[in-house]
Amino acid sequence: MSHAFLVQNRFYSTQTLRTAAQDNVRASTELMAREIRTAMPGGIVVAGARTLTVRSPIAVAVVCARRGGGDRDVFHDGGEAALDTDEVAGVARWDTVLGSWEAANAVWGDIDDSGSDAADECFDNGADTVGIRDWFHWLHFDGGLLSSRPDEGEAVMLFRETTFKIQTSVMDPTTLGIFRAAYGDSLVEFATGVDTTAQFQYRTVGGGYVDTVSAASLTSVDAVRLIADARKPAPTGGAADVLFGWSVNVPIRLAR
Amino acid sequence: MTAEAGVGRGREGFVLAFVVFMLFAISVAGITGYLVVNSEFELSKYSGQGAEALAVSRAGLERFVAEQIGTVPDTTTFALGNGVATVTTRRLFARDSLTDVYYVRSEGTVDDIFTPGSPARRAVGGYAIHHRRPLAHHAAVIIAADNIEVDNGGEIHGWDYDSPGDCPGGGADDITGAIARVDVDEGSSDDIEGSPDWEIWSGGWTEMTDSVGLRWDILRDPDFPVDHVNSLPNFGSIPADSFPVIRYTGWVFANFSGRGVLIVDGVFDPGPSFSWDGIVLARDVDDIIQGYIDGILVAGFDGPNMYNTVDFRTDVNYHSCEVYRANESLSYMELLPNTVFEVN
Repeated sequence: MSHAFLVQNRFYSTQTLRTAAQDNVRASTELMAREIRTAMPGGIVVAGARTLTVRSPIAVAVVCARRGGGDRDVFHDGGEAALDTDEVAGVARWDTVLGSWEAANAVWGDIDDSGSDAADECFDNGADTVGIRDWFHWLHFDGGLLSSRPDEGEAVMLFRETTFKIQTSVMDPTTLGIFRAAYGDSLVEFATGVDTTAQFQYRTVGGGYVDTVSAASLTSVDAVRLIADARKPAPTGGAADVLFGWSVNVPIRLAR
Repeated sequence: MTAEAGVGRGREGFVLAFVVFMLFAISVAGITGYLVVNSEFELSKYSGQGAEALAVSRAGLERFVAEQIGTVPDTTTFALGNGVATVTTRRLFARDSLTDVYYVRSEGTVDDIFTPGSPARRAVGGYAIHHRRPLAHHAAVIIAADNIEVDNGGEIHGWDYDSPGDCPGGGADDITGAIARVDVDEGSSDDIEGSPDWEIWSGGWTEMTDSVGLRWDILRDPDFPVDHVNSLPNFGSIPADSFPVIRYTGWVFANFSGRGVLIVDGVFDPGPSFSWDGIVLARDVDDIIQGYIDGILVAGFDGPNMYNTVDFRTDVNYHSCEVYRANESLSYMELLPNTVFEVN
């Protein structure tokens, strides 16, 4: 009788660990995939086996009026209130000649410009501002920020830059953890119990998956594979660790 | 009662209790398993509905931009798959008199019958150029044929017959009379007039079709929605300022009158009673053109015109107001590259 209870208890413990391990890596890869999937073209900044830095759009705006100097009136869905300004890592301008985004890092305070008449100036240029006046605001482009300042009718992008890193866990140093850092911030662990096999792989256009990509080939990355195998120590001594193999291929939608 | 019988009843009682306990344990395990599986199912279902809503919203945006022709509506709704895409537009910038920049937002919703009040909802936005009047006014007649001849009382005039009193922008600059690939002949010196009277574009039909600014492959597509297909509207019952888009296919002996944009994906063969205000676009034209056109005729899409020489026994006179109105019916949108993004 007691043996039956012990076996059942061990079984439940193992199942609980297995569930936790699965949930852990599935949730973490889902979070990563969400940011990687929407990476901007040319948005893979660092592509290493255990480090990935990716730029993804927060908002795409259009310049609807030019002000003096480097100030531009822009429109984007929801306006400034819809932005998580702490996440802003820079601004990019669509280069119509090269057919690519020219990006530069800048924090929100460097590119934000206060003012209340952006909607009026865009209205003068033909914008329909009824009911969405707050969706228009100013951005400032310092002279050296981009090769040229965006012109009226051109698209600009506010992007976030996120670094994912797989390294020794802070919470459980016997395993690895997955860490995330917004631009300029410190790494924060958001998944623990990752096996030593965990890593990133990258697929370039017309090629297979590789562990690292040189800087010259970063723009040709069109998919990222997240290998996040989970490992939990067994609930009792003598038993093997609980392992859960997990990998996800994330195509970069905007890159194709 | 013997001692053995007492022991036996005691064992039976233990077995009964053990079986009841095991049934309870199995039930608990079963219920737990069901709850876990059900929770997984619900999670995956909602996740799937969210992904479907995103697909619906993207499809709605693409479809709106692809099918948009004429005036840009504020709101359009498409039923797509298991969801609904609601597309809204905003004009943001008037680049010039011919092109505007629009914001196009598409919100996709996918209903769950168990939670009808809170459907999965995702939105995408993008920016698009709206070509308000895409047809370039190069000449009153452009045909990718070797020769254009005008005789037997016909005339082709690139002078604007309209004045500012006819419409805003009326009295436009004169345009070329006729454009052909090799030669243009006239019976008398005033049969072809314009600024200049004619031009020779030796670059072939591609030079002509590429320069007029139209998406012929789309306009001729049977799946591309236009106002009327192989039939004319009752012009008396539609507003006088309505210039519809009408598409015919095959060999079209046109002996009717009307206004708007006449698209002939085949051979345009106008008879003596043909009369048209606006724009005529044809893949090929017959070797003899009759009737009247107050506007512009462009022909020879998809290749050189099927007849090397086209003889005009008709009047084609440039009326900028008619062309202006018909041209707005051809307006279309074009997404700015790499500007489509997820709003939420």
